[in-house]
Amino acid sequence: MVSAFDPQPGAVAPRLRVGRWRAARLVAVLIAYLAATAYVAQTDIGLQSLVLVAAVFGILAISLDLVAGMLGLYSLGQGGFFGIGAYATTILANDYGWNVFGLLVLILVGTGLIGMAVGAMSLRVSGLYFAITTFIFTLVLTVLATDMVAVTGGLQGLLGPTFPDFPASLEWLGTPLVWCIMLALLACLGLVWNIRHSPLYPILLSIRDAEPFAEAAGARTAAIKVGVFGVSAAMAGGAGWLFSFLGVVSPSQFDWSVSLNVLVMVLIGGINTSIGPVVGAMFVSMFPNVVNINPWLQEIVYGALSILAITLLPDGVVGIARRALARRAGGIAPAADVAAAEALPGTPNIAVASASPKDSEIIVECRGIEFGYGLGPKVLRNVDLAVRRGHIHGLIGPNGSGKSTLANVISGRLTPHAGEVLLKGTRVEGMPASSRSRLGLRRTFQAAQLVKELTPTQNVMVGLFDRVPRIVGRAPLWPMLASGRRDLAAMQRRASEALSLVGAGDWTARQVADVPHGIEQLTQLASVCVAGPDIIVLDEPATGLSAKEVRHLAAILANLKTQGVTMIIIEHQTRFLFPLCDRVTVLNAGEVILTGSADEVRADPVVRQVYLGE
Amino acid sequence: MLQFVLSGVAIGSIYGLIGMALAISFYVTRIINFAQGQLMMVTVMVTAELASSGYPVWLAALAGLVCSCIIGILSYVIAVRPILLSNRFSFGWLVSTLGFAVIVENAAAYIWGPTSQAFPPILNGISLPIGGAVLTAQQLLAIVTAAVLAAGFEVVRRYTLFGKLGMATAADPEMASAIGANTTVVAIVAFAVSAVYAGIAGLLIGPSTFANPYLGDTFGTYGFIAMMIGGGTERPIAAMFGGLLLGVCAEGANALINSQASDWFPFIVLVLILIVSPKGLFSTSNPLFRPRRAAVTRG
Repeated sequence: MVSAFDPQPGAVAPRLRVGRWRAARLVAVLIAYLAATAYVAQTDIGLQSLVLVAAVFGILAISLDLVAGMLGLYSLGQGGFFGIGAYATTILANDYGWNVFGLLVLILVGTGLIGMAVGAMSLRVSGLYFAITTFIFTLVLTVLATDMVAVTGGLQGLLGPTFPDFPASLEWLGTPLVWCIMLALLACLGLVWNIRHSPLYPILLSIRDAEPFAEAAGARTAAIKVGVFGVSAAMAGGAGWLFSFLGVVSPSQFDWSVSLNVLVMVLIGGINTSIGPVVGAMFVSMFPNVVNINPWLQEIVYGALSILAITLLPDGVVGIARRALARRAGGIAPAADVAAAEALPGTPNIAVASASPKDSEIIVECRGIEFGYGLGPKVLRNVDLAVRRGHIHGLIGPNGSGKSTLANVISGRLTPHAGEVLLKGTRVEGMPASSRSRLGLRRTFQAAQLVKELTPTQNVMVGLFDRVPRIVGRAPLWPMLASGRRDLAAMQRRASEALSLVGAGDWTARQVADVPHGIEQLTQLASVCVAGPDIIVLDEPATGLSAKEVRHLAAILANLKTQGVTMIIIEHQTRFLFPLCDRVTVLNAGEVILTGSADEVRADPVVRQVYLGE
Repeated sequence: MLQFVLSGVAIGSIYGLIGMALAISFYVTRIINFAQGQLMMVTVMVTAELASSGYPVWLAALAGLVCSCIIGILSYVIAVRPILLSNRFSFGWLVSTLGFAVIVENAAAYIWGPTSQAFPPILNGISLPIGGAVLTAQQLLAIVTAAVLAAGFEVVRRYTLFGKLGMATAADPEMASAIGANTTVVAIVAFAVSAVYAGIAGLLIGPSTFANPYLGDTFGTYGFIAMMIGGGTERPIAAMFGGLLLGVCAEGANALINSQASDWFPFIVLVLILIVSPKGLFSTSNPLFRPRRAAVTRG
């Protein structure tokens, strides 16, 4: 049985026949949209310009939501890209007579490339500095537009070009610009809606909330961020192209306060929702027409409303509406105990049994690893580690002995200062984490790195990122592609199988934020197993689990081992770890003090002294 | 040459004070108060209003500072605290502080009208020849005041318990409150101090700009640039260095390129600096020059 894949947080109950019902609803909405467009195309110029300005800002808000909502990149550069689009169109069409549709292509490509350049530069610094750098980008462009009077007309601005008329056969449709803008808005809505219903969506959210997780799953997070920011910039540039046909183009329409107003639109409407940005854009851009009072008082009311909206409705209008709907839909029956599914042996394989375990072959090797954080003392000193294929290799040591650091060096979160890391004989110490995942290495994290607002199933799907071809390329059209629908169903099936297999099958429909700690750990494990890796690095998988859950985990790991998966396990609970391990390495103060079988380690006097506390 | 350096330092002190004001509130709460320029404007408007109705200038200036102080605290209580309480890492403050700025600015325009009004000259009438250059006593006052305030802040930050409390709150508010610091009080004091810094900047520049409700926009932007050039997001005093650099660049561009160049030249400088060192010139991200580490790691 395949449960319905519903990426919208809050709507969780699996629904049958949801696909057909949804398709019918979609067609109805589309027809209504086109009918409304046809109506606006015939009405008077006043209403038209009201709707068109709102629609252009809607596109701008969607472009911001794409990066702010899905990637957590609060760009204040949207105003800048918007301005580039509008000025380039106006100047090249009016002064040089370029064809406006040719210009559209040029602007989409141009602003996209500029966006990628700005993004690559700003992403060196994260979070707030991204907002600041993009803010400065807009600031500089506004200054240029104001001061290069000869080209831009200074503060007066320029009169935009006129939009070409319909050919005579289509004149009955009304104003062509209305159709153009409304179809563009529809295209942008569709693009974001498609991404939201593609497997790229959980990946984008994991880049936003749990970047190490996304990297470990094989996603080149920096490249994806830059690429998506480029798309967002192109969208904003396209909005500028549309805007230039609406009248005068002047610096005040693109300055930093416009960028912030776009953010207001997104936040009021509801961040990371499909139609929230458009709702917010309608509200903000129509506000001056609705509240028709003294302009200063009007601004004061606007300021007060934006403060109220942001403090009282942090999820925006659409977020509130959605939560109300979810409440009406009713709660979900609580699921059973974590370790309910005890019957593990005999379950289908989740890991690909690569080869029969050959004891001789070394699959992971560290030679002379040196590492230290900043100016502090060395955390790893001349660490050698050799893990044989098919083995479970334990890594123990007191707190601060460098176990997690070593796991990070092996998996690619950290680059060693000296020494070599070999995976299957390939040197990888200079390779990013995402490339190591392609060599069959996966890892879990001590503190579970998951997207809280998605379900465990969706989180596990992130683990399949590099097992499904061209997720990024197909995402903009995903639900329209037969291959996309097929792959998505297969990914969901594999993800829920993996979850059932680790014993978290009852929790697939809940948000991770609502599941207990043990289920988070199991979800991590499932997201690793689902990809069928050869090597798994587990960083304290038993932390915070109950005794029963620990036994269950041991059974899962033993099962994985029978399928030939190599594991490196960092753990403090030796009673859980030692029975599983073929070899155990003991670290103390950044140095390997012993590698041997569990019995040898247990018997060693030095180990007993430094670690086992005897 | 000397002339533009001196007048650059004078105007740069003003930018630096506003930059420091932004940086002080940023330092404690990790938010940028977009209403900072408007706080400066409040002081200027209130002072101008009271001085023109016959009160002595010092009293008018004091009242102006008190007003911006109150509005600064209000900006924290209304626009910042509710956001940080619900989610310390959200970006809602971008919107709420801008909303607050919009309210203050338009309220001022509504009360006093959009045009400029007279501002008491304070020391603007006195000219002091220095070498081949001429400064007004007001400009000299700006330089001295800025130096005193910047040094004073740094001394308080480093050597008093309250300053260390601020540092602790900046580093980790939850930890700071766990060890008994009242982080709300620290934040309110930081906003009050930053409003006073911005207000003083207003008193220093008021005689040459006159009182205009839209003053906050321009000077808020320049203060922001000062902070970013200097790296004030890491250490507030770096915003003062950034301000001085910005002032000299702007005046230098006017003197050496053309009389409009100060409109765009500082932005080019800003972009170049941020390309090299994304967090500012005097920050740890600068590959060419790293400030001495304040805290020494043991081991």
